[in-house]
Amino acid sequence: MTESVDIMVIGICTDGRVHPETYDLIAFGRRLQAFRPGTLGVCILGQDVGAAAREVAHQGSVQVTAIECPGLSHYVSEPYGAVLAEEIAAAKPVFVCTAHTSQGWEWTPAVAARIGAGCICGVDGLTESQGRICFQKDVYGGKIKGLFASNTATTIISVQPGVFKFTPAPGASSGCVIRKNATCRSERTRYLGTSRAKADVSDITAAPILVAVGSGIGNQENIKLAHRLAGCLPKAAVAGTRIICDRGWLGYSRQVGVSGATVAPALYIACGISGASQHVMGMRGAGCVIAINSDPHAPIFNEADICIVEDITRFIPLIQDACVRRINNKDPRSGVPGSPREE
Amino acid sequence: MKILVCVKQVPDIERISVRNNPSGMPALEISGEFRLNYFDEFAVEEAVRIKERMARGRIDVITVGPDRAADVLKRPIGMGADAGIHLRTPTDADPGPAAVASWIAECARPREYRLILCGSMSEDGMNGQVGPMLAARLNLPYATQVIAITPASDPSMLSIQREIEGGIREMLEIRMPALLTLQPGINRPRYPSLSRLLRANRQGLETVSTEALEPAGASIDCLGLVAPEKRRASQVLTGSTREKAERLAAILEEKAFL
Ligand SMILES: Cc1cc2nc3c(=O)[nH]c(=O)nc-3n(C[C@H](O)[C@H](O)[C@H](O)COP(=O)(O)OP(=O)(O)OC[C@H]3O[C@@H](n4cnc5c(N)ncnc54)[C@H](O)[C@@H]3O)c2cc1C
Repeated sequence: MTESVDIMVIGICTDGRVHPETYDLIAFGRRLQAFRPGTLGVCILGQDVGAAAREVAHQGSVQVTAIECPGLSHYVSEPYGAVLAEEIAAAKPVFVCTAHTSQGWEWTPAVAARIGAGCICGVDGLTESQGRICFQKDVYGGKIKGLFASNTATTIISVQPGVFKFTPAPGASSGCVIRKNATCRSERTRYLGTSRAKADVSDITAAPILVAVGSGIGNQENIKLAHRLAGCLPKAAVAGTRIICDRGWLGYSRQVGVSGATVAPALYIACGISGASQHVMGMRGAGCVIAINSDPHAPIFNEADICIVEDITRFIPLIQDACVRRINNKDPRSGVPGSPREE
Repeated sequence: MKILVCVKQVPDIERISVRNNPSGMPALEISGEFRLNYFDEFAVEEAVRIKERMARGRIDVITVGPDRAADVLKRPIGMGADAGIHLRTPTDADPGPAAVASWIAECARPREYRLILCGSMSEDGMNGQVGPMLAARLNLPYATQVIAITPASDPSMLSIQREIEGGIREMLEIRMPALLTLQPGINRPRYPSLSRLLRANRQGLETVSTEALEPAGASIDCLGLVAPEKRRASQVLTGSTREKAERLAAILEEKAFL
């Protein structure tokens, strides 16, 4: 029997371990209840999910449906989506929420297409407009956000991780677990395990100062400018956006972002970086952020403490000069820092 | 091997500015320049490489959009694709991923492609939905954010790697026909060759009006745009370039970063 819920949160677990985003999603679901009152339930599927389901039920004070799928020890789009499509079609929730991760972003559109649900991916805000519940998400590289509303009986939403924060309600009752079984077969896709991308990321995650470059640097030769600037800041390292690493201008070990490293230096100097959410996700924890970009509308400026609208290829040499003069004034014997330090 | 590559024409994001309307709701100013979606270029290149590796095959590129969108098919043909299909929409309005996926599915179904490739998302809508939705409509196995494709020991399968969070890759084998959405970095897209570009100009594209196709998909309404909120204090430095550099150096010193 399927328990009806209005808001269905799809919890995430790997090898029986609950991912923390699951709780953020419960927080998002609770926010959603303020706009659209109704019951909230969590659904977790996979192999050996019983303990994870009990943990989520208890910590989140929610009803959890644990769908035991023998053979689904790892997420794979096809069998995972097939089980979920069936569950959602039977439970008919108004909203289905999951995390906007490589996993959530993969299955949500396909399941939505299968069951005729609306789908909104990458949601980071919730409001009401013209009497409708609106989900906010980045469009146009994050320069602006759109407010989207769905027309369908069921809408599937993937929510940016880390935006909605879960706090346990004091004295809340602990939830309950409903168990189900599903058979799933992965005939056309075979999971073979994981591998780590070639290099390790220890270097840029340890540096207290990062000079990060984006495609605004223009050409490979100009990467030297970033190295020179880093050369006059103590213990600074050079990092970059995905585009820079894809072009081979920096090694992948220097990529900051969701598919690269998460960094939290005391100072992050973003040079010619647009500020796409996938990049920002990796550097939001920085202490002080300085952004230099020729486009005054670049979204990186929303993430910066100090904003400078300039062409980096002209500006970096000037800032390097100014820094060198200040350093030499402090200690004239210290020599000339800022010579290229290409690693 | 018969391959379909889905591409989109998008405005040049760097040239878009955000205008504040008197109504308080921001609006976008698109300067009229459109180009191939950044993420799709890698899908085109990968298709061409697969065809080269197999030493035979055919690559079709498909796009959905208004009249002007036909232009976006030229670059892929210049890079080595064989033919372009333009599913022409009657207006400039973006029909949304569900409708796009259903139209492409209708067009692709009878043509029986072995492999369908898409970019991982479009720069304008940033939805990343057309690929998975199209796979669902065609009942194909699929994977997103793919960063490596190699032949598998079983010739009906492909070995792939897809990126997940934190620099980790999942290794999978997927049976063809299949659909993959590709991440930049999987390859280095080549420049279109001049002779092929000229041919692309002469070559008639196949045009199908979407009005003749059934849009089977849930529509999502965009009710407006909002400016992203500032997460930090965002002090803007002013003055000449040199003055800004001096000011920044002073700030770095004050904050003990020098
Ligand atoms: C699944 C997925 C995962 C991803 N993971 C990551 C990730 O981990 N890390 C990551 O960074 N990205 C990631 N991306 C890519 C991300 O969406 C963006 O494409 C990327 O971050 C943009 O890089 P950029 O800022 O260097 O380039 P662009 O977006 O091209 O921006 C360049 C900026 O430079 C400015 N500029 C140009 N010329 C100058 C100049 N002379 N002086 C000053 N400024 C100038 C422009 O105004 C623009 O704002 C991912 C994407 C997907 C789909």
